[in-house]
Amino acid sequence: ETLRLNHNNPEDHPTHISMEYMGERLSELTDGELNIRVYANAQLGSQRESMELVESGILAMARSNTAELEAFEPLYAVMNLPFIFESEEHFETVINGEIGQDILNASRDRGFIGLAFLTEGARSFYGDRAVNSPADLEGVNVRVQPSPSAIRMVELLGGDPTPIDWGELYSALQQGVVAVAENNPTALTNARHGEVVSNFSLNEHTIIPSVVVISTAVWDGLTEDQQVAMRQAASEAQAFHSESWNETAMAALETAQNEMGVEINEVEKAPFIEAVMPMHDELADQSDDLADLIDRIRAAAQ
Amino acid sequence: MKRALDFVLGTTVFLILATIVVSVSWQVLSRYVLGTSSTATSEVARLLFMWLALLGGAYTFGQVRHLAIDILPLALRGRPRQILNTLILLIVASFAFFVMVRGGWTMVSRTLATGQATPTLGLPMGYVYGALPAAGIIILVYCVMFLGRIWLNPKSEGGFAIDPHKAPAPEERA
Amino acid sequence: MNMTVLVLFGSFALLMFLGVPIAFAIGVAATLTFLLFMTTEQSLSIVAQQMASGLDSFTLLAIPFFILAGNIMNRGGIALRLIDLAKVLAGRLPGSLAHVNIISNMLFGALSGSAVASAAAVGGVMSPIQKRDGYDPAFSTAVNVTSCPTGLLIPPSTTLIVYSLISGGTSIAALFLAGYLPGILIGLSLMVVAGIIAKRKGYPVAEKSSFKDVRAAVGRAILPLGLIFIVIGGIISGVFTATEASAIAVAYSLLLALVWYREIGIKDLPRIFVDSAVTTSIVLFLIGCSIAMSRAMAFGDVPSTISSFMIGLSENPVIILLSITAVLLLIGTFMDMTPALLIFTPIFMPVMQGLGIDPVHFGIIMTINLCVGICTPPVGSALFVGCSISGVSIGQVMKPILPFYFVLIACVLLVTFIPQISLFLPQLILGY
Ligand code: NA
Ligand code: NA
Repeated sequence: ETLRLNHNNPEDHPTHISMEYMGERLSELTDGELNIRVYANAQLGSQRESMELVESGILAMARSNTAELEAFEPLYAVMNLPFIFESEEHFETVINGEIGQDILNASRDRGFIGLAFLTEGARSFYGDRAVNSPADLEGVNVRVQPSPSAIRMVELLGGDPTPIDWGELYSALQQGVVAVAENNPTALTNARHGEVVSNFSLNEHTIIPSVVVISTAVWDGLTEDQQVAMRQAASEAQAFHSESWNETAMAALETAQNEMGVEINEVEKAPFIEAVMPMHDELADQSDDLADLIDRIRAAAQ
Repeated sequence: MKRALDFVLGTTVFLILATIVVSVSWQVLSRYVLGTSSTATSEVARLLFMWLALLGGAYTFGQVRHLAIDILPLALRGRPRQILNTLILLIVASFAFFVMVRGGWTMVSRTLATGQATPTLGLPMGYVYGALPAAGIIILVYCVMFLGRIWLNPKSEGGFAIDPHKAPAPEERA
Repeated sequence: MNMTVLVLFGSFALLMFLGVPIAFAIGVAATLTFLLFMTTEQSLSIVAQQMASGLDSFTLLAIPFFILAGNIMNRGGIALRLIDLAKVLAGRLPGSLAHVNIISNMLFGALSGSAVASAAAVGGVMSPIQKRDGYDPAFSTAVNVTSCPTGLLIPPSTTLIVYSLISGGTSIAALFLAGYLPGILIGLSLMVVAGIIAKRKGYPVAEKSSFKDVRAAVGRAILPLGLIFIVIGGIISGVFTATEASAIAVAYSLLLALVWYREIGIKDLPRIFVDSAVTTSIVLFLIGCSIAMSRAMAFGDVPSTISSFMIGLSENPVIILLSITAVLLLIGTFMDMTPALLIFTPIFMPVMQGLGIDPVHFGIIMTINLCVGICTPPVGSALFVGCSISGVSIGQVMKPILPFYFVLIACVLLVTFIPQISLFLPQLILGY
C-alpha cells in the first residue's frame, strides 16, 4: 500500500528530503508493504485543504505547520507563542519528550494524529537595521505573515505589522516598503533576502515547526506492526531532520555573513520576552488544557 | 418567475461586489492613511469573494453567459437540438446536485462538526462552504426553468445554447 | 495512469464538444477522475472543497477590481481620449488609422486587462472612421483583432494574475514587468506589417498634427495615463499588493468617470457592477473547477508522466519547446484563454522546470501563445468580438488576417527562445 503525503514546499526543501527519508525507512521496516509517496508544491492542495482531506480520510497524510494546525487542534496554539521556548535546545527537549507526544496525539478524535515534528528553526528579525531591543522596532514597518498572533506580537513589540505576500517581500525589503521582516536564516539565502538586508538579529522569538500528520481513519486501518513501523520511521525522520536543519541554518548564516555581507547580531532576549508576556496570559485564560500545557513546557526548560 | 430570480440574484451579486470594494478600499486606506493594518477586512473580503464567485457563477449560468463551445448546438435544428440542449442541461444539473449541493453540504457539515474556524475572525469555515450548496440549488432551479422552456415552448429557437446574435455584450467576456 | 488520462481528457473533450459550458465540463471530468481513486462520497466532497477553497486567495481578489476598473473606463469616455492620443502618436505613417488602432489597443491595454473590452471599445470607434477613409473593413478588423491581445501582456493583466496563482505564487511584480516588452514587440511588429500592406493598397496618410493638437491630445489623456504610474508603479515598487493597487484603480477610474469627466452617473453603477460581477464569475467559476481538475491530475500523476514523456521525447530543449509551442497554439484554437491557462500550466510546469526555464518567462510564454489562440477560429473571443463590432464575417476576415498570424507566431517564437525579452525589465528594475 502507498500512502499519499501532500505538502507545500519545493522538492529541494529540507522537510521534503526528511519526509522522503521517512518513506524509505517505512518501506524498509515493513519490507515494502507500506510506502509513502510525497507530493511537493501543494499539488494536492494547500495546507488547510490537505488537513480537511486528511480529517475525512481522503488523503492519508499531510505536512502542515503548527500555525495552520491551530485551526484544527487548539493545543498547537501554545507552540506558536513567542518565546514559549527559551532556546532551540528547550524546543528539542519538548518535541522529543512526553509533552511532544501528548500534543501529537491530542487530535485523535478530530480525525488526524501527529507523527513527527520537523523543525524549521527559530525565527528572528532581519532588515536594514539591527533589532537589539523592542525599541528598535518602534514605529517601524515589519512584514508579518497574515496571522493574528504574528500581528499581535509585532504590535506588542511596538512595530507596525504589514502583511505582504511572500513572493513580493524581496522587492518590498529592497524598496524599503518594510524595513524589517522575520523568518529563519534560510530566508537570507534561499529567497536571497541577504542581498537586500544588512542585519540579522538573533532574537529567536518563535520556533514554528512543521508537523507530519496521518488520518485517524487510515491509522486505524494499519496493523499493529505497521503502526509501530510508522512511529519508528517518524521518530527517525524527526531526529534526521533536526540535524539536517541545523546544518542548513548554520550554512545559511555563514553564507549570509561571508558572501552577502549581512551582519549577525546576538540579542539580549529579556526585554522582548517581557513585552510579549500578555500573549501567554491571554492564551492560558482560554482553557485549562492550554494553561496546563504552557506550564508543562515552561517546566521542561529547567 | 425567472425574472424575479434574476433580479434578486443580480442585486445580491451587486451588493456582495460593492461590499468587497468597500472593505478592500478600507483596508488600503487604513494601512496607508491611518497606519493600522486590518486583517479582519481582508478576511471578510476573501469570504465574500467565494460567495461572489459561486453565486455569480449561478447567476451567470442563468444569463447563459458561461463560456461554451456552441458549434454543435448551433449546427443542429429542431428535435435533435432540443435533445442535445436537454442533455447539456441534465449534465449541468447533475454536477450542481451531486458536487455542489451534496458534496458541498458534506463539506459544510464536516467543517461545522470539527469546529474549524477562519484564522482572524474565527467564523466557522462551514459558512464559507455554504456558498456551494446555495449556488448549486440556484443552478438546479435555472436548469428546471430552461428545461421547461425547451419542452413547453419548443418554438423558442435559442433554447439553452448561446445565441450568437444575442451574444453577451463584449465587455462582459474576459 | 493511462486510465486517468483517458477518463480525464476523454470526458472533458466529449463534454466540451457537446456544448456543455466549459467550467462544468471541467468539473464533471475532475469528478469522474477522482472516482478512479476514491469513493463516490469522497470524490464529490473533494471537488466541492477544491471549487470553494481554490478561490481562497487574496491575490485573486485583484481580478474583479481590474475588470471593474476596465468597465468603468470603457463606459466613462476614457477610450476616446486614448484614441485621440494614438492619433498624434501614429502621425504620418502609411495607413495611419491602422496604426492608431494598434496603438490605442496598447494604450487601453496599459490601463485595463481585457483584450475583448479593448477590441470592442477601440474597434467600435475606429471601424466607421476607417470605412469612411476607404480602408477594407476586413483588413481593419484583422488589425483590431490581432492587436487587442497586447493588453493581456502589457500590465495590468488578469491573465498574469491567474498564472501567478496557478504556478504557485510567482511574483506578480516580476510578471507584470516581464509583459511590457513582449506586448510592445507584438504591437510594433503588427504596425510594420500593417504599414507595408497599407502602402501597397495606397491607404491614406493622416494630416500632420499641429503642436497644438499634440498638446491637446496629451492633455486629454494625461489623467487616465496617470493610473499607470500609480497602479503599476505601486505594484513594482512593492508599495501596494496587486489587490490593493486594483482597488486604487477602481477608485481612480470612478473619480475620473464620475466626478471629473462626468460621463457616467451614480445610476449607471449597478449595471456596471453586475456586468463586472458576471465577467468575474465566468473567470472564477472556471478557476474553481480547474483547480479541482489539476488536483485530480496530480492524484493520477498526470503532470509528472507527461513531463517525463516530453523530456524523454528528445534531449534537445529546442525541440521540446517547439512541441510545447505547437501544442499550446493548437489548444488555443479551440479553447478560451483562462481554462487553457489553468489546465495546461500545471501540466507543462514540471517540463519547464526540467529545462531550467524561469517561471516568469514561462508565464509570458503561456500568455503569448494563448493570445494567438483568442484570435483564431473556431473559438476565439477576440476574433468573435472584433468581427461582431465591425460587422465583418469570420470568413471574410480570414484572408487579410493571415499575414498578421505569421507576425504573431514569429513573436511567439522570439519570446520563447529569447528569455531576455521577458526577463530584461524584471532583472533591470527588480534585480530579479
Ligand atoms: Na493590460
Ligand atoms: Na482560437
